[in-house]
Amino acid sequence: MSMVKLVNIRKSFGDLEVLKGVNLEIEAGEVVCILGASGSGKSTMLRCLNHLERISSGEIYIEGELTDKRENNKDMMRIDPHKVQQMCAELGMVFQNFNLFPHLTVLENITISPLIVKKVDKKEIEKKAFDLLEMVGLSDKAKEYPSRLSGGQQQRVAIARALAMEPKIMMFDEPTSALDPELVGEVLATMRKLAEEGMTMMVVTHEIGFAREVADRVIFMDGGVICEQGTPEEVILNPKEDRTKSFLNKIL
Amino acid sequence: MLNETQLWAIFDGTVVTIEIALVAIVFGVLFGVIVALGRISKNRIANALSWFYIWFFRGTPLLLQLFMIFYAIPIIYLDATGNTLLIDPMLCAFIAFSLNSTAYLAEIIRAAIESIDNGQMEAAKALGMSYRQAMMKIIIPQTYKRMVAPVGNELILLLKDTSLVSTIALFDLLRTTKTMASSTGSWIYYIYAAVIYLFLTTVIQVVFDKMEKKLGVYER
Repeated sequence: MSMVKLVNIRKSFGDLEVLKGVNLEIEAGEVVCILGASGSGKSTMLRCLNHLERISSGEIYIEGELTDKRENNKDMMRIDPHKVQQMCAELGMVFQNFNLFPHLTVLENITISPLIVKKVDKKEIEKKAFDLLEMVGLSDKAKEYPSRLSGGQQQRVAIARALAMEPKIMMFDEPTSALDPELVGEVLATMRKLAEEGMTMMVVTHEIGFAREVADRVIFMDGGVICEQGTPEEVILNPKEDRTKSFLNKIL
Repeated sequence: MLNETQLWAIFDGTVVTIEIALVAIVFGVLFGVIVALGRISKNRIANALSWFYIWFFRGTPLLLQLFMIFYAIPIIYLDATGNTLLIDPMLCAFIAFSLNSTAYLAEIIRAAIESIDNGQMEAAKALGMSYRQAMMKIIIPQTYKRMVAPVGNELILLLKDTSLVSTIALFDLLRTTKTMASSTGSWIYYIYAAVIYLFLTTVIQVVFDKMEKKLGVYER
């Protein structure tokens, strides 16, 4: 059973069709990097998974369970808000702009959702939060507010925050695009660590080097469809499609 | 100078003024949050009701609202039931000022909520929070600092507007001093009133400035 299964996903914003029939299956433990020019629909695809955007038509399965089914922008199944919340908790998401909660300390950022959504014990989750902070190398920042951290540190806190919900899949939406070049490495290192631990990951990125080293599969999207996919060697080193070639030529 | 009776009268008037302003700001904020949430809600009925509320209470004079509650309701009640209704003027003032300030504060609160980056709501939802949890724990707490200055402004306006209650048989600070001025022919009482108003608004200004600094600790 695949972790994620997308069946003929379409998404329009008004007259603009951003996703034009995407089919995709991701297995447990797989690290999938999604490449493509801006506007190719890669971020939208991730955002549809946790209902930040609703698909116009198609079906989405998470761990074999149907989580969204729509046609012509109309629900074809009952959408239970509680179910959506549960599903979101299983899908960790890391945003381009971190989106840490500025009024909460680093520790509170990590613990708030487990505390109020999963209602876990406070002592337990704080211990876990410290473990996560250690993993991302920020044990000494627990009591700081996000505004005191660098972009790279903020993004690592955001990763720890998502992990605190014990998600089965981690989605990264251009996690290093808003960072100064010298801060990109620390975030990628954290993501690499996560991949080595066997986390199922979907990573929208422009970091070709990271995709080459870490990805099990690379997907190239163009014009709202998956244009080419395969191992990093196949897609990055020996692309078959002209569109993939011209994209790689532009960014390498 | 003031004799003891006058001093107490001015004191009582000042208390009336302060009480009405405080009651109005407290209820205004509480109900204002509800009306603001209605305004940004996707629920059409909640949205329309809140819109109508703000439209009415911002669009008619506070004095008119005060008259409606103090004079019109007892007459309507008399016509409908045949019984007379005595409403405590202080209660009328509390109600009218609270209803009115709710409308203004709802707009202040709505603007503050809408000024919070959309990414905050997205992050909260992606972490599994419900809309209500995201609002209560993430969005609204971030509006506090942004609301302090306009709420302080509203409180100062309210404090001065309380002078309208002289029209419904209440003796607030201004009416008390005006009565003294006209019975003695001395303008000095207006100076006393001005000094007390200035003292009160200064206190509000200082307290709200402190609050704004305190609520902003998480900003760099």
